[in-house]
Amino acid sequence: MRKYTPYMILAIGLLALAIDLLPNLRLPDSRAPEGSRLIETKLGLDLRGGLRVEYQVQPVGDVVATPADVATIRDIIERRVNSTGVAEPLVQTQGSDRIIVELPGVSDPDAIRALLGTTGRLDFVPLPPETYGSVDIATGQPIQGTKPVPGQGALLDDATLTPLFSGDQIASSSVSTDDVGQRVVAFTLKPEGADLFATYTGANLGSYFAIVIDGTVVSAPYIQSAITGGEGQISGGGGAGFAFEEANSLVTILKFGSLPFPIAEVGVTDVKATLGAAFLGQALFAGAVGILLVFLFMLLHYRLAGAVASVALIFYVIIVLAIFRLVPVTLTLAGIAGFVLSIGMAVDANILIFERTKEELRIGKGIVPAVEAGFSRAWNSILDSNVSSLITAFILFYFGSSTIKGFALVLIIGVLCSLFTAVTVTRLILRSVIARKRFSSPYLYGVAKGDLDTLDRGVING
Amino acid sequence: MDKIIARKRWFFLFSLLLTIPGLAFIAATPLTSGDVGLKFSVEFTGGTVWEFKLEESSEPAIIRDAVVAVGHPEAQVTEGEGGFLLLRTKSLDLQSGSAPDPSQPAGAELAEIRDAIVAAAGPIAEEGSLSTVGPVISQDLTQQALLLVVLGSLGIVFWMTYRFRNVRFGAAALVALLHDVIVTVGFFAVAGTFFNIEIDALFITAMLTIIGFSVHDTIVVFDRVRENVARYAGAPFAEIVNHSIVQTMGRSLNTTVTVLIPLLALLVFAGGSIRTFVLALFVGILSGTYSSIFNASPLLVWWEERVTARKSSPSARRTA
Repeated sequence: MRKYTPYMILAIGLLALAIDLLPNLRLPDSRAPEGSRLIETKLGLDLRGGLRVEYQVQPVGDVVATPADVATIRDIIERRVNSTGVAEPLVQTQGSDRIIVELPGVSDPDAIRALLGTTGRLDFVPLPPETYGSVDIATGQPIQGTKPVPGQGALLDDATLTPLFSGDQIASSSVSTDDVGQRVVAFTLKPEGADLFATYTGANLGSYFAIVIDGTVVSAPYIQSAITGGEGQISGGGGAGFAFEEANSLVTILKFGSLPFPIAEVGVTDVKATLGAAFLGQALFAGAVGILLVFLFMLLHYRLAGAVASVALIFYVIIVLAIFRLVPVTLTLAGIAGFVLSIGMAVDANILIFERTKEELRIGKGIVPAVEAGFSRAWNSILDSNVSSLITAFILFYFGSSTIKGFALVLIIGVLCSLFTAVTVTRLILRSVIARKRFSSPYLYGVAKGDLDTLDRGVING
Repeated sequence: MDKIIARKRWFFLFSLLLTIPGLAFIAATPLTSGDVGLKFSVEFTGGTVWEFKLEESSEPAIIRDAVVAVGHPEAQVTEGEGGFLLLRTKSLDLQSGSAPDPSQPAGAELAEIRDAIVAAAGPIAEEGSLSTVGPVISQDLTQQALLLVVLGSLGIVFWMTYRFRNVRFGAAALVALLHDVIVTVGFFAVAGTFFNIEIDALFITAMLTIIGFSVHDTIVVFDRVRENVARYAGAPFAEIVNHSIVQTMGRSLNTTVTVLIPLLALLVFAGGSIRTFVLALFVGILSGTYSSIFNASPLLVWWEERVTARKSSPSARRTA
């Protein structure tokens, strides 16, 4: 088995390099619309700019949303997002009552927030003529009630009113124009709603009824004639008709239905793309400088062994980046910091191994047994250290919010990969190096010339 | 080098000198309602932070007055990186879909503030990030911070106790990592008091990373102690521990240096939201190396000496 290890490692390295560098590679993915997705380095909103909104699902009275309700809300929001044409939106649930929406590169965040946050409950509410008055159809004369007819934008908080039917009875809707050229939203009712509407309008000529969205009146016309075809229209925007975006939003909301529970924004972040790009450049530069300095340190301290560790470190970077692209891990600024940190941690295992090797060389062991002892004796410390990092990283991943999760995932991948590269890859290269006679001088592994065999004798008199 | 254990009281004293002022500043945070001690970002307190750059530079005080005049007495304006100004207010424009107020469309409050600033200080050249955190998230976060630090510490203690089959090793590691947590939080309590450096959600991440990393050096020394106890059976425990520390000193320092180097590069060259995060990691990891060498291992000896003293002179103890 051992005979094939070098080829396997070489194959893994080449595969990772291909994943890192080749554009337009695709990975099968049943959730993606085309059945596969592009392999790419995903950047978080803080690096590419965009809008992030966190919603909390609100209870209605004493009724709390079930996980199924939250999932329904998520689906509806996702459909609303997709209708806006924003590229690569991300809509996900978090915890028991949160929904996170991430939209890269949004030009008008306020309009999108208005669209997504609306509960979108549409009600057709008859206004009884005894209270709200009516219009005499024959003469066109208004008959005053005890209350004024609510105008557009008014809150309808009269508890005695019950809707005739709601938005779920709407079969289809579209943006249209009315007789006088104003923009309206036209709708077609399902058979049940159409029957109710026909019966009610036939029996209540001259009465007012209100079209209400989330408790706010959009319009409150009076019934001029029985509406029997199940078709109608909603006019709004005061005298000027709907603005195009307003009408479009309304159609979107009607099309995908109302949310079973209202949602409220609990956090909003909007990052401009130029700022994110600047941060990305700085972080990458800092990472490159950091890696080069670590190389330098290792070369100065451990000489040939340091060079081997540096090769393993390059291997580490190639593999980790490939995994980031495969998973995919969304890289945020914190994630890049985690990656840079993991580079420092990745060579720690090498330092433990090389220091142990130096000790073994100093007590006069040959280079081959010294290196082997370095690996086997350092292993306990390496494993224990990495497990302790993994423990805290998993706690962060399990309990943290989404930014924290991203960092934790980077750290977990980094620690696991570094165990492989710093131990397996380094050992493989080092074994083939020490097999050559001219590479057997202890000096090449960081032991000073006069340092041999001065070991710890006399320090402990035991 | 051969007197690390013998001088353990001095090292404990030094740690006390590091942690006590830090603890005092941390404790001052609730007592002075935030004037002294830790400064929390909006992620903890709730509120809005808006970054923008003016075409012509202006005094933060002028902008603050303009914002206060449109109904935000809590507004604060500070200078940020790259010529940006930071405006902090209470949470703006958070909407609830249950009862939308048609007179307050999304972004209306900010639009009003924006107009007031333009009127007072001229046109805005560039807008950076805009971040609003409501009270719900900020409450979650504070609870999360404490929970994570407690869970992380417990996890490490159990792991150390399990691997070294000895609760003393776990307890000594716990003291060392709590030392690092206190030093780091204390550092930011001081930095918050004098330089207004704020801690944000990523600070929690830094704490957990420090907890995980702080024990790396401790593990290396403890591993060597275990090995040497077997090798030099019968030798005084204090000498074995001291010898182990000396033997592993080189790798403790080198592993720390290779982690601090990339962090230093980030600190110098990278900016934005991770500056505090990286600084916290830097301080914590530095403290972690100190506490591993000069606290955790001497504690093992101290504990051992207590136990031996009690065993060897039970009668003396009883009469005392």
